Amino acid sequence: MATLTIDRVRKRYHHQEVLKGIDLDLNDGEFLVLLGPSGCGKSTLLNLIAGLDEITDGEIRIDGRVVNGVHPKDRDIAMVFQSYALYPTMSVARNIGFGLEMRKVPKAEREAAVRKVAALLQIEHLLERKPAQLSGGQRQRVAMGRALVRDPKVFLFDEPLSNLDARLRIDMRTEIKKLHQRLGSTIVYVTHDQIEAMTLATRIAIMKEGVVQQFAPPQEIYERPANMYVAGFVGSPPMNFLPAVVAVEKDRLGLFVKCEAHGAWSDVFLPLPPQVPVQLGNGLAEHVGREVVLGLRPEHITRAGSDLASGQVVVEASVGVLEPTGADTLAYIGLGGQDTVARVKPADAPRTGETASFALDLGSASLFEPKSGARI
Amino acid sequence: MSSSLSALPRTHTPGARALRIGLYLMLALFALYYITPLLVLVATAFKTPDEIRTGSLLSLPLAPTLDAWRTAWNQACIGADCRGLAPYFWNSVAIAVPGVLLSTALGALNGFALTKFRFRGANVVFGLMLFGSFLPFQLVLLPMAQTLGFLGMAGTTQGLVLVHVVYGLAFTTLFFRNYYVSLPDELVKAAIIDGAGFVQIFTRIILPMSPPIIVVTVIWQFTQIWNDFLFGASFAAGGAQPITVALNNLVNTTTGVKQYNVDMAGALIAGLPTLIVYVLAGRYFIRGLTAGSVKG
Repeated sequence: MATLTIDRVRKRYHHQEVLKGIDLDLNDGEFLVLLGPSGCGKSTLLNLIAGLDEITDGEIRIDGRVVNGVHPKDRDIAMVFQSYALYPTMSVARNIGFGLEMRKVPKAEREAAVRKVAALLQIEHLLERKPAQLSGGQRQRVAMGRALVRDPKVFLFDEPLSNLDARLRIDMRTEIKKLHQRLGSTIVYVTHDQIEAMTLATRIAIMKEGVVQQFAPPQEIYERPANMYVAGFVGSPPMNFLPAVVAVEKDRLGLFVKCEAHGAWSDVFLPLPPQVPVQLGNGLAEHVGREVVLGLRPEHITRAGSDLASGQVVVEASVGVLEPTGADTLAYIGLGGQDTVARVKPADAPRTGETASFALDLGSASLFEPKSGARI
Repeated sequence: MSSSLSALPRTHTPGARALRIGLYLMLALFALYYITPLLVLVATAFKTPDEIRTGSLLSLPLAPTLDAWRTAWNQACIGADCRGLAPYFWNSVAIAVPGVLLSTALGALNGFALTKFRFRGANVVFGLMLFGSFLPFQLVLLPMAQTLGFLGMAGTTQGLVLVHVVYGLAFTTLFFRNYYVSLPDELVKAAIIDGAGFVQIFTRIILPMSPPIIVVTVIWQFTQIWNDFLFGASFAAGGAQPITVALNNLVNTTTGVKQYNVDMAGALIAGLPTLIVYVLAGRYFIRGLTAGSVKG
């Protein structure tokens, strides 16, 4: 268990900068998820923490000790790889104990440690088998056992679940979370799966092209995305982006948004909640008359009920395609000059082609600068 | 996959049948063409000189005898030396065994370093080594002779071992490099984090995964070194010559009546070890391949 500090870390390959100054600070026992599409530099960063690759510039500190130039085996870290990287010619027991064997831990002590970890992961009955005789989930457990047995300061996970089938992935995800809660270890976890990131992390760092876009707890990432990239990356279906114009009407600050009702598009004024919430940004007034992007998650567009919550505004919009998913039905409605996804209860689902009234929860909306994509 | 293909229903039209019969006839003809020299070789080696003179080339021996084998092994005269092929056979063993072991071991080490511990310029080094496998034997004769002379190893068995190791390295490195490039890099990364060094990773993790390619390399190198004539004839002096050169001398320089049965027996003795290596190692080769294919 330890703190981990990543301080202005840069990585250049030849003339291409892959990491452009990463700053992350982890407390003891935190579960950091590095989230991003392939090629965003998240795996490179993990390799730098592990010491498998050399830092071009900046500093990495584990528990306050600078580890630049420290050999991976002396960093007191353990890593779980995407392919599990089990040694195919060794038994499960030797696979788990190999790190201790290399560190010249006496045999009896080693065997006791292996047995303890095997019990923790419920793989005691597999200890004599070879990796080829294991299922995917069992290999995953052995790979974690190999990391756990050394009781390192920091655990590094490199997309550990992406080779498992969907069902097993969910089970293992829960197990990793349980394990983290039980051991309280510091973990850095790389994935491109936003659900994994949301469910596991204490904090998520969303990366794009070698830059951290936002570093925050999962709920904050979801509710207050720092920019349109983050907003579009997290959430399924993704956040709707509606072109809008800030305006004042009858002394109320609001947005003009294009809306299709009864077969015709018109500009509709959506008044923002009276006490414009802080999250919609201070000084929105100076944007009056300018174009902005209104970010609305599908669950913030529902059918209008008899009583409206504060911040909700009712609009009439025509309904296109309906996609029932079981728990909810996704309705594509004409809003913002495009198809916008609304998440409605199956019982409230409108019919295709009709114009229905929808409640927009502007209190939960995000506003973005159209050019830079930054949150206002 | 081949079984599912052959399980497909066949067409039974007369034309198809004729084609099939023609196919097997053709195959049988080729088989016969290839097997005939070996048949003549084996049959003649068991005949007496009289029977060779009177009988036909293709007939089987009437009274098979091992006389010719005995003569070829330890009585036949090679030049003025009448101790048979035996000393030269052991020369070849003394060249081939260390030659195969050394070139295979070094090739494995090279392949490992070139793929899993990549260093600056690894590709250039590999390219140059690859180039070595395209060099014809004849091209390296003169520089090799100079090198051996410089090292004081001209005409010795050790010198010949060195020649074969150096020339074979291009091939063994290529084999191992191509095998190791398909092993996941993450294995090595995991071992580094586990605290293993270069040598430990190689001996404890990579080598135990290598039997299939080791067998392939051993078969290749043994065949190359055992069957080599040019290097043996060029660099080995008199008593240090390998069996291929001795066989040539036996067949070409015997004075008096040509002893075909002794020549044939000698040729078979010279060819036997490679055959044995194929039969023995081939089994392990196939076992290694199937063991590797049972991945989950």
